[in-house]
Amino acid sequence: MKLTTLAFRNIKRNFSKYVMYFFTLTFSVFTVYSFLALLQNEVVNHAFIYRERYRSMLIGFGVVIFVFVTFFLISSNTSFIRARKKEISLYSLFGMTNRKVSKLIFLETMLVGLAALVVGILAGIFFSKLIAMILLNVTLVDFVGDITFSIHPRSIYLTILPFLGVFGLMGLSGLRVISKFELVELFKGEKVSEGKSKGSYILLFLSVLLLGCGYYFAATVDSYLIIMYSLPILISVILGTYLFFWGGLPKILHWLKKNKTKYYRGDNLIAISAFNHRVRSIASTMATIAVLSAVATTAVATGYTLYKNAEKDTYSRVGFDAYFYGSEELLDDVYQAFKNHGVEFESYTSERLVARPELRITLDDWLYYDSDNAGDYFRVYPQSVFNEIITFSRRDLKPVHIKPGEAIYALESWTNVPSLDAELKQAIMDSPFKFSNQTIRVTSFVDAQFLAFGAIQVIILNDDDFVSLHQAGDIITGKTETGPPFSKVTVFKYDNPLRSGEVARSITEILSGNADSFRVAYNTYVELLETFGLVCFIGFFMSIVFILMTASLLYFKQVMAAEEERGQYQMLRKIGMDSELEKRVITKRLLPVFLIPLIIGIIHSIFAMKSADTVVFSFMITQQNSYLVVLGLSSVMYAIYALVYGVFYFITKHQYAKVVG
Amino acid sequence: MSLMRVENINKVYGTRKGARKFQALKQINFEVHEGEFIGIMGPSGSGKTTLLNILGSIDRPTNGRVFLDGVDIASLKKKQLAEHRIKNIGFVFQDFNLLDTMTLKENIILPLAIHGADVHTIETRLQKLATDLGILTVLDKYPYEVSGGEQQRAAACRALITDPKIVLADEPTGNLDSRSGRALLELLAQINRTYNTTILMVTHDAFAASYCQRILFIRDGEIYHELYAREDKQQYFDAIIDVVSVVGGESK
Ligand SMILES: Nc1ncnc2c1ncn2[C@@H]1O[C@H](COP(=O)(O)OP(=O)(O)OP(=O)(O)O)[C@@H](O)[C@H]1O
Ligand SMILES: [Mg+2]
Repeated sequence: MKLTTLAFRNIKRNFSKYVMYFFTLTFSVFTVYSFLALLQNEVVNHAFIYRERYRSMLIGFGVVIFVFVTFFLISSNTSFIRARKKEISLYSLFGMTNRKVSKLIFLETMLVGLAALVVGILAGIFFSKLIAMILLNVTLVDFVGDITFSIHPRSIYLTILPFLGVFGLMGLSGLRVISKFELVELFKGEKVSEGKSKGSYILLFLSVLLLGCGYYFAATVDSYLIIMYSLPILISVILGTYLFFWGGLPKILHWLKKNKTKYYRGDNLIAISAFNHRVRSIASTMATIAVLSAVATTAVATGYTLYKNAEKDTYSRVGFDAYFYGSEELLDDVYQAFKNHGVEFESYTSERLVARPELRITLDDWLYYDSDNAGDYFRVYPQSVFNEIITFSRRDLKPVHIKPGEAIYALESWTNVPSLDAELKQAIMDSPFKFSNQTIRVTSFVDAQFLAFGAIQVIILNDDDFVSLHQAGDIITGKTETGPPFSKVTVFKYDNPLRSGEVARSITEILSGNADSFRVAYNTYVELLETFGLVCFIGFFMSIVFILMTASLLYFKQVMAAEEERGQYQMLRKIGMDSELEKRVITKRLLPVFLIPLIIGIIHSIFAMKSADTVVFSFMITQQNSYLVVLGLSSVMYAIYALVYGVFYFITKHQYAKVVG
Repeated sequence: MSLMRVENINKVYGTRKGARKFQALKQINFEVHEGEFIGIMGPSGSGKTTLLNILGSIDRPTNGRVFLDGVDIASLKKKQLAEHRIKNIGFVFQDFNLLDTMTLKENIILPLAIHGADVHTIETRLQKLATDLGILTVLDKYPYEVSGGEQQRAAACRALITDPKIVLADEPTGNLDSRSGRALLELLAQINRTYNTTILMVTHDAFAASYCQRILFIRDGEIYHELYAREDKQQYFDAIIDVVSVVGGESK
């Protein structure tokens, strides 16, 4: 018989094992091709304003995906060969040389791999237009161009080449595994457990300690600490995860066995002992899955949270639909631009007034404010102007009422450490603002830093105080020595600001280079959406690749195990296991394999999101408890992740039951 | 007292459409009395395992009936059947059929655990049986860590732990050397005597059969001959050899 015929026959016989493998491989090819095709697509390239960022992100994540695909292929190939030890030993028993056996195995993987390459690339070509449309839809605010269907030969061979390289590596690793087989092992059979482990208290303790430390530091409120220690945190969590699966989980199983009332129930006895028997051979896989699912869920959840908050984030940065300060003539041009585009708008112009009270605010050894310092001055608003100007803002602020002698200080979380913020607020309230004739005290705070317009500090005063201070010369216009001729700021509010690209572009054109400073919400929004949309898009693909890889690895290992465990089920049925009990046993045998890594992965991700919240989100999301918002959005991702895993679990269970049944 | 009654059992393999039909058992009739130690002999392919599987309710006869304590096994529903198997029947298989994922102890208590017995019952029964069968010291080892004889004793222990009405053994000595084989036969005989357990044993081996009080010979799916134990062991053994040489089938 020719080797190819034998290879084909083997593939057909092992179809159920190959089908998941094939599916995952195909999807990986599809993703790599799609990324490459997107990079080659001129229209897509031109649609992005921040082209370099876009390209480097796609390439970067493409490489990451490829590394993991390589890892997945080699590890599943190895376990596949191990599972076929008996068959392979038989080949050599009948006189096939090791070389020839490896050639056969290599041929098999190659055939499946080539099929996956062809199908993956064809799917990539077929869906390329759709993928590009989705990407542009997600990332661009108002893309209007059309994407034509196109085939990119460069992407095709750029996809094929590295995959062929990986297949070559697989062949080599397979050869290594096969050459290690001894004929004797065939006769020893599978009796001797490769995967039994008693576990170890030390490892359990160590893993809990490492995870605990990692979690603790990840959950600290000090963003500086998190950034400083991000690498140690990562290492300790990852190491802790592996140690937990290597030594901790077996120990926990060992404990479970000690509870005889529970353990001596048929299904528990069978399932726990069977799981325990395999735990070592699957520990690394489960740990890897936990880590990867944490990475994937965190990536998607971060992207999604950022994406969902792009609008809020825009306004927490800009505050208004648009504002500028600069020369007075520009104002007319801007008005004209609105009219030209037929956009309804309102505007409000306010003085940029400055106050320099005599004031020192110190916090421990940190000199927060010092009036001797040229950069430290206040932007000042009377209560009436403040109440007026906020109606033009998209920020949800309430009108204020201020008593004489008091002031409101605009402070957004500065340090992001709640305790420190509280101390700072106290320090501000304890420091009297000494003006030439009167002293004013800050009594409350408002999140309105966007009103600074060039300054750092903002206070809002009682109207009467404001007038008297103005008369006393304590409040002056914002002209600095080199200052601009026009000291007023104009804010705009118009319809549908984040979708009206035309008018935003016109205003930008008028103001850029001419205004002293300006911001248009639309521009910020576009940039945020482009970046975060891309993170979302890539994160989505990466997650699917990760889920498919990890889940099909689990599927693979369990179906292999099923083959070995079939004899046990036959025996158990003989001594009186009914089909109901069998179902329960199978459930208890398989569920932990899927559930434990998923849960640990999600817990990791929850803490990772906490860190992300401390470092990034809480500066963006102006709500009181930004972490809850983040968790709410992430849990959508977790639910999807769990759902997909659930589907894989049921497929595996079905196949497992079929094999042992 | 009659414990098991087998009435007109037939077994036809390949009843599904298109399959080649093969009648493995033809009109089998016999009775088993309580406390008996019965041997079943016959050449390879004569239907011994088939018969044992039917008696153990692992397989169903094509027609005919099996009564245990007056209850028709065929009338039992699926769930009752599993229960019946655990409560009434103990199996000892040729290749022991111990689970490699479990220690001997876990293997032994498995039927009781499936049955849902409480921990106390399980522990007391285990202690007594393991002491009697001399495997107390190896209970926490895994099957591949103990000798074939110890595995076989553990298998016997598992068959007995539910205190079954009848123990079915399919070539229990087949995988053992003659010394361990003899030890096991002594053990079965001792179990038969001390616990008054009814035992039905399939064997190829005339020496093993000579431990039985009665031997049924099967050929081509039919009961061909029946032999009762004699006072004189040698004479009994010779008689068995005589029948075997006619019926066919190897003797070791
Ligand atoms: N599932 C089956 N389908 C079809 N034929 C079967 C099946 N099982 C057994 N047979 C046939 O029925 C006959 C009796 O088989 P059985 O296993 O009972 O023999 P046995 O007496 O136990 O033989 P041995 O001493 O070799 O174990 C054999 O000819 C066998 O080929
Ligand atoms: Mg047989």
